[in-house]
Amino acid sequence: MALDELTREFLIESQEGLDRMERCLTELEERPEDAGLIGDIFRSVHTIKGTTGFLGFKRLEKLAHAGENLLGLLREGKVTADRPTTTGLLQLMDGLRSILKSIEVEGTEGDGEDTVLIECLEELQAPVHVHASAAAGLIQEQHPAMPETAHGPSPEHPSVEQVSPTAPVAAVAAAPKPGPDKGPEKASGDAEGEGAKARVQSTGTAAESTLRVDVTLLNRMMNLVGELVLTRNQVLQATANDPNLTLLSRRLDMVTADLRESVMKARMQPVSNIFSKMPRIVRDLSQSLGRKVRLQMEGQETELDKSLLEAIKDPLTHAVRNSLDHGIEPPDVRLAAGKDPEGTLRLRAVQEGSHVVIEVSDDGAGIAVERVRQKAIERGLITAEKAAYMVERELLQLVFLPGFSTAAAVTNVSGRGVGMDVVRTNVEKIGGKVEIDSRTGKGTTLRLRIPLTLAIIPALIVHSVKQSFALPQGALSELVHVPPEQAATAIEWMEGAPLYRLRGKFLPLVFLDRLLMPKGAHKGSTEKENFIAVLNADGRQFGLVVDGLADPEEIVVKPLSAVLKNIGLYSGATVLGNAELALILDPGSIALKAGVTMSSDEKTGRGADAETESEAAKSPEYLLVEVADRQAAVPLADVLRIEQVKISRIEYIGYRPVLNFEGQLLPVEDSGGVLAAAQADLEAPDASERQIIVVVCREGNRHVGIAVSHVLDVAAGGDLFEAGTKARAGGVTLLKNRVTGVVDLGGVPPLPVGESENSEWGQSTNGMVEAAR
Amino acid sequence: MSNIGVGFNRKEKAAATLVEMCSVRLGTTLFGVPIKHILEIVGGARPQPVPLAPRFVGGLVHYRGDVLTTVSLRQLLDLPPRDGPQDILVLESSGGCFGLLVDSVGEVLTVSSLDYEPNPSILDERRRALFVGAYKLKDSLMIMLDPERLDPVRLDPVLLEGTQHDRAQTETMRGPAAQAA
Repeated sequence: MALDELTREFLIESQEGLDRMERCLTELEERPEDAGLIGDIFRSVHTIKGTTGFLGFKRLEKLAHAGENLLGLLREGKVTADRPTTTGLLQLMDGLRSILKSIEVEGTEGDGEDTVLIECLEELQAPVHVHASAAAGLIQEQHPAMPETAHGPSPEHPSVEQVSPTAPVAAVAAAPKPGPDKGPEKASGDAEGEGAKARVQSTGTAAESTLRVDVTLLNRMMNLVGELVLTRNQVLQATANDPNLTLLSRRLDMVTADLRESVMKARMQPVSNIFSKMPRIVRDLSQSLGRKVRLQMEGQETELDKSLLEAIKDPLTHAVRNSLDHGIEPPDVRLAAGKDPEGTLRLRAVQEGSHVVIEVSDDGAGIAVERVRQKAIERGLITAEKAAYMVERELLQLVFLPGFSTAAAVTNVSGRGVGMDVVRTNVEKIGGKVEIDSRTGKGTTLRLRIPLTLAIIPALIVHSVKQSFALPQGALSELVHVPPEQAATAIEWMEGAPLYRLRGKFLPLVFLDRLLMPKGAHKGSTEKENFIAVLNADGRQFGLVVDGLADPEEIVVKPLSAVLKNIGLYSGATVLGNAELALILDPGSIALKAGVTMSSDEKTGRGADAETESEAAKSPEYLLVEVADRQAAVPLADVLRIEQVKISRIEYIGYRPVLNFEGQLLPVEDSGGVLAAAQADLEAPDASERQIIVVVCREGNRHVGIAVSHVLDVAAGGDLFEAGTKARAGGVTLLKNRVTGVVDLGGVPPLPVGESENSEWGQSTNGMVEAAR
Repeated sequence: MSNIGVGFNRKEKAAATLVEMCSVRLGTTLFGVPIKHILEIVGGARPQPVPLAPRFVGGLVHYRGDVLTTVSLRQLLDLPPRDGPQDILVLESSGGCFGLLVDSVGEVLTVSSLDYEPNPSILDERRRALFVGAYKLKDSLMIMLDPERLDPVRLDPVLLEGTQHDRAQTETMRGPAAQAA
């Protein structure tokens, strides 16, 4: 049965009403006395009832009616909103939902029987004194007519006095005066009028300023805006030389940019849309699991693209279930552990740059690392030897492996071993990341890192087979340039398998041109400019060799037709700024297609990587450099860039070596004598071609350079303490289990102009250079 | 294009229905696509090739904010590729939109259903699958194409890729078809 416009409108409206009701109900538990909340819930149910009568959905009407009775009593304070009442109302809501669903799917209300629920709701109507069940039965029989006895209860129903005053205060005042029983139609019409009035008062402003828009229309608008952006680019280019059109095209430019932003914004929805479902889940679960849980939510106004919001709904629900089932302990256990018997579950959403981070943290038992170790061995996920070497952080990562569960028993909530890996897969599918952090006895925090929007992603544009391709930057970890003359030695072949030694470790290589043109002739193909994009896809690391790189771009992802999607290498296509089309490469599929798999060695390597990564969150990272045969560390946070310059570019102010960067003067620290060594015999023919490496760092407001022989690696530093005093050692850190000195950037003496710390710095020092020469 | 017979003389016959066809040329062969399936004609397009795509995919073009997959009629018929820009018919089929790459698009012709003949039995299998039939014009034939049959989602890559042997066979089979045109 096709739904007519009116019914569809009713369905949408009712769903919204029920959503509102759900929010209010969970709040009602906290503040049972809040009349505003009860009023809101009443109106939601009332509107449904009113409209159903009109549309002829009898079953729905009957149920809504029963609920309305109870809510009416609540509103008047005759019944208090205690736990059983709220439970009843939640059940009412579920009942209404399932009927609405059935109307939506089948066009009919279905043949379900709601008698039990209605009876239950009626029993709850008993105020303080308990209702006789006979009376309850009577009420049920009289049901449709019941609440409409707005002019007072009929004398023949003795129980009505306690039951019927659903109608507002006026009805109660009139109660002693028995009035005629109104017919249901008439009465419900009255009631609807009243309800509608109330609704208009409460939601009038919202309804006037908002409009319901079909998502497909929004998508279409987004596409058209993309098209407009491209046309604008072409107009801008065409009119660049015409002064008459400059102003016009400038305006076109601005309007287009604004329009694009507005359309993007229209797709954004606050996370409260999914957060609002959580109180109910937490409530139901904590009741069935016998936990006491307080739910805290923060950052509900944070916005995310609608499609992404949909995509994280399940992972988030899963994470919440996990926290309740495995995280927060039963009250008695918590008391014994000296904790508040009521556990706390925190949901927090916050925007960090182009990502939204959603945190689910509990103050429960945390993950028992030893049990993770045992289970992983038991289930054959890792070998016992390997497990013995793994530290806490690596072990925690194991919970993301498929088939992992530490739950002692399988409950109907979670523990079936399809848990965290599903969370991770779902989040990674939309370009997000999952991190876990747990302390035994203190609690667990799960962090979902979600990109702001799916439609626009940052990508690196690469060239291969004379075409442009877009490589999502999320998977890219670094780029390596192999010039033609080095290609033969830098790219090594192991029986047909190309490899590159990345900081001493084998990195499997995939040549994009060979992958895309398997039949093409690739004679001497490595004897050209090669760029290796080091990619991380589903835990597999490999290098994708391309012919050239262009600038990174924010690309608008366009879907591909099924025929091209089936090739499996492309996740979409995009139109570049120069109106050229580019296919978006899917690193995961490329790895799969090229046969890059995780060898057992890599698995542990990956664990170690994960460890250093998470270590990094706690301890600062350092750039490990070699200065004249000694190793030294530079805080990575201070490193701006690493420059390779010819020795001839180093100039001197007096004895101080400096580097002139387009008018910006950089003092170069050379305590290791690297410069001196490079300049040793300047008379040698190659002297001016010698290159040195300068690490450019930030120190306070100024920039300083450090001359080094080699840049070795990036590693997390460990704290060192003086034996005996336990005082933290300054100036040194533990890098890769070696005590390493940290370069003291503050110790680099300022240039002679140091006292003038203004923005003219670069210019005034320029003068000094001239003088020095 | 010459004034190809349109069959107005058959108007008086009751069973005759007139169909408007967009004429399309590929080499010397004349094809026709019912105009009710055509959304737009894009001239002088250079589709972006898609490595590893099935052979019949002519590449991608940018069309009204979307990326459109095109089907190359030349590749479908196993004709040698043509250098230079081609015209694209943007067609609508039940599976969505796609582009059909042809050498050039000509005028709209009105043909009568009475001039229609189904595919002859001697036509090779591949062409029988792609063509609907032909309209007999005064001095030539117009082969009728159906967007539903050309939809990339429905084209069977296995059948069209063909083995080397198949291709040799179609090579010899093309004779009659070419003569028919």
